[in-house]
Amino acid sequence: MTALATTPVQKPTAPPSAVVVSASTSAIGASASSRQLADLPREELEHLAEEYGLEGSDYKTPQHLIAAIHERRQLIASMDREAMLDVIRWGRRPVSINASSELLAQQIAKIKVMRFHGLSQRGLQILAQMRGLAIEPNDDIPRLVKKLKRQEGLFKKLNRKRRAMIGGWVGSMIGENVKQDYQFLPPADAGKSAAGESQRGGTIKEEIEESGLLGGLTNRIKKSADSYVNQKLDEIEARIDRKLDEIDRRLAEWRDKEIANRLRILKITLWASVIVGAFSLIYSYIKVYFATP
Amino acid sequence: MPDIDFFNFFRWTLGTVVTIYASIITYQSMYGWYLWLAGTDKHISMLRRYLIVHGLRLRFLTFWGDVLITILLCVAFLLLWRAHAVVNQIGDSLHPNVLSAAKSR
Repeated sequence: MTALATTPVQKPTAPPSAVVVSASTSAIGASASSRQLADLPREELEHLAEEYGLEGSDYKTPQHLIAAIHERRQLIASMDREAMLDVIRWGRRPVSINASSELLAQQIAKIKVMRFHGLSQRGLQILAQMRGLAIEPNDDIPRLVKKLKRQEGLFKKLNRKRRAMIGGWVGSMIGENVKQDYQFLPPADAGKSAAGESQRGGTIKEEIEESGLLGGLTNRIKKSADSYVNQKLDEIEARIDRKLDEIDRRLAEWRDKEIANRLRILKITLWASVIVGAFSLIYSYIKVYFATP
Repeated sequence: MPDIDFFNFFRWTLGTVVTIYASIITYQSMYGWYLWLAGTDKHISMLRRYLIVHGLRLRFLTFWGDVLITILLCVAFLLLWRAHAVVNQIGDSLHPNVLSAAKSR
């Protein structure tokens, strides 16, 4: 919440009247949104808060929760999109590059990883803001990492270390997979491709560290199943394409044969007409010159 | 008793019957295809476009031999037709009495 105060203030580029209009429309939109949120039951509000990286149980009344959600939405709207994409890339979340800021923020909120290597400073700032930390504009990378690690707490850290150790054992037992380069989802499948996730995940050790032994293994099995189904779907698609090409080729052959056949029939008819015509001509000639008295 | 040339009678009767029969069959077939392909169903629309694509893919060079023979046969047929007319005119010129007798009958 305090991070909202630390976000850099942007200079308005629109004329004052436009600013007034946009401010009034955003105020209307915000009040309408608050009214809609107020209609939701407590459970749904908590679920919504979790999607934005908030702990629903930390707020005593629904009004506090609504205010927190509203504040978090404003914070997300003020975030640098490129920095958010940095976090998405680093956290290997399955999302398309043209996804909305809210969707990016929801995906960032799901990232529980505590190994921050490879994440840029602006990405760390976004991550810290989404985890509810107070940051200063001049915070450098070590300071941001320190703040994030301090926020984790001792028991959570011990649990994570334990999970990492189990993940290491499991990884050595079943064989570690190699990390592939991250790729954004194609725009059409944004937000719903579990299949794409299978190609974007980290190693099994990291997964177990993040989600626990059962969660990590379940994820891995699910991803393997998704990958298998995807592979089979690709095979089926390729087979259908081959069949369609074959049908097209056969139709072209049938068309050529049919036209050749029709031309042959026309030729035979014309030959018969010409032959009969020639006979008739000879007949007429004989009749005119020899048969008529 | 009318003087009937059986060869000419057979030729004209056969030609007339076959021409009418072929015309009716061709018209029926083309009208059936037209009605079927004029449908507004999206599958029919797709089929229509597919047929157009197949028509555009058609190569004249595949059938050029047959097409050439057909054109030559058509030319020969027209020449024979013209030759018939010429022979009949010669006959009328050589035997005007036969023509006038035929007309008087």
